[in-house]
Amino acid sequence: MTVVALKQVTTGRNGVGAFILQCKKMDFHYCDWAGSSKGMNGFIKSILPKFAAAHPQIEFTVSPRPSKHPVIIGHYINGREKAICVRNLEPLQILKKVELLRDASGEKLRRVTKPVQSINESVRGVWSPYHGNGIQV
Amino acid sequence: MKRIRADRWTGQLLAARPLIIGGHSSCRASASLLSAPTRSISSSATSEAEPYDDGTDHTRFPPLERLPNATTLPSPLPERALRSAKLAALHARLSLSQKVPLQTLARTLVDGSADANRQFNNTNLAFVGQTIINYHVTEWLMCRYPRLPMDILYAALAAFAADDALFQVAKSWGIESAAAPGGEVDPGLLQFSLHKPSTTLTQFGYQRTEMEYIEKYKWRRGINSRVMFDDDFGQMVSATPGSKESEEQKMWSEVEAGLFEKERKEMVERSDTEYGTVETRALASKAHAHFTRAVVGAVYAHCGREAGKAFIKSHILSRTLDVSKLFAFKTPTRELALLCAREDFEPPVARLLSETGRLSRTPVFVVGIFSGKDKLGEGVGPNLDHARWKAAMNALKSWYLYSPGDNVRVPSDMLVEGAKPWEPTYIDLGEVISR
Repeated sequence: MTVVALKQVTTGRNGVGAFILQCKKMDFHYCDWAGSSKGMNGFIKSILPKFAAAHPQIEFTVSPRPSKHPVIIGHYINGREKAICVRNLEPLQILKKVELLRDASGEKLRRVTKPVQSINESVRGVWSPYHGNGIQV
Repeated sequence: MKRIRADRWTGQLLAARPLIIGGHSSCRASASLLSAPTRSISSSATSEAEPYDDGTDHTRFPPLERLPNATTLPSPLPERALRSAKLAALHARLSLSQKVPLQTLARTLVDGSADANRQFNNTNLAFVGQTIINYHVTEWLMCRYPRLPMDILYAALAAFAADDALFQVAKSWGIESAAAPGGEVDPGLLQFSLHKPSTTLTQFGYQRTEMEYIEKYKWRRGINSRVMFDDDFGQMVSATPGSKESEEQKMWSEVEAGLFEKERKEMVERSDTEYGTVETRALASKAHAHFTRAVVGAVYAHCGREAGKAFIKSHILSRTLDVSKLFAFKTPTRELALLCAREDFEPPVARLLSETGRLSRTPVFVVGIFSGKDKLGEGVGPNLDHARWKAAMNALKSWYLYSPGDNVRVPSDMLVEGAKPWEPTYIDLGEVISR
């Protein structure tokens, strides 16, 4: 018994195999009376039914929030949520915000300095000073 | 030694299923076999609907106040599945076929600890799912890495298909759990009880009579007996699930013994409030894993073998595992020497390839292991012995991790109609020194 097994757990890579949309739920809050909700009300009436039908993997809830600005809240698989206030926006501007929420991963916004992040091993390997012919100075 | 146990296939699924009579009309036709059983309460449409049967005689002891019907049930009614937004979203998120009815998906979310009735919980589906997942992962691992020792094969299988991994899968599907199970819960939430662990049998394996002694006196448990007696991951089947102290728990008790009493108390209190206790976390992880298995079982039962295989491939086999990190060697040089003898190679010799700073504080030696003129492996270390061991380990890993390629054919590929003739795959003997 010279080989002993260690415990490991596989790591998932979304999109390799199956892709799961990270946005799982969207809440739409509106006010019937306030002017800032005018665009939101139009959005809920005209655009939202089509958008919801096109995205069955997202759970949609629409609820009134009287005397408050309209808000869209996206809930994500990692447990975080993202809220956008859409006061005084036109329905098509709101659609842009909704698409932003749909496409977000739910992670905190971070400055990305390297274009590619990977858990795969480097194909080229790590440079070693002990191999090769060396350089004559 | 290495074999797939044919008797562990899903024969029980093919065997007779208990006949379900009556009341299907509310469900869709495709749902009739698996999710059609209706609670007696739902079929009696009159106002005198009886509550969930808990053994009380309701004619003699009428209830003091009338509760809404659903709250007296242990799990939500199957009909409610059609109206749950969460469930419909989950169905779409997993890209399940329309053949998998929402009622079945709702049933996969009810753990055995929430509802003991096997017609309404996910135990049967999870059992089927577990069998299929373990079969597909094993055959893939065996064809992909034909020289893995049995110990490592078990660990690799566990890395893909044990509770921890499937818990992660369920989490990545965005599963939320209900605070407590009950009939009033949204059917789209995972329901399990933290107070009474499920006692249903959901794994294969025999309970060893000498288990007590194995644990107490550290009796030898060879790999052959693990293949024969133990569960799919080579772990001993314990008498009562949940009673055995888990490894994590043991580790914690050791850690706690070293801490001061006050700190220990604070730590325990905090862990109990914020993240649950060790036990509740284990129960939650198990319930999530059961749900994942049950979904696979549901896909298999409703859509067939190929769909089930594709589902496993895209959700479970697509995950990443660095198999080389599973190895821990005790006597690598001895094992390598025996391997060379077994394979009729020349005996391995370690040679120093390059070095720097031998007399400094941080020397580096590069040692290669040669068999005749072939270099088997190379290792780097701060002293000669260490470098030699590393080299032997690398040589052994490159032997054990031989792979014919990414896209290997597996035996289940032959079950498709019109499959190309099977070319025998190479499967090695396995470990060099077995125990």
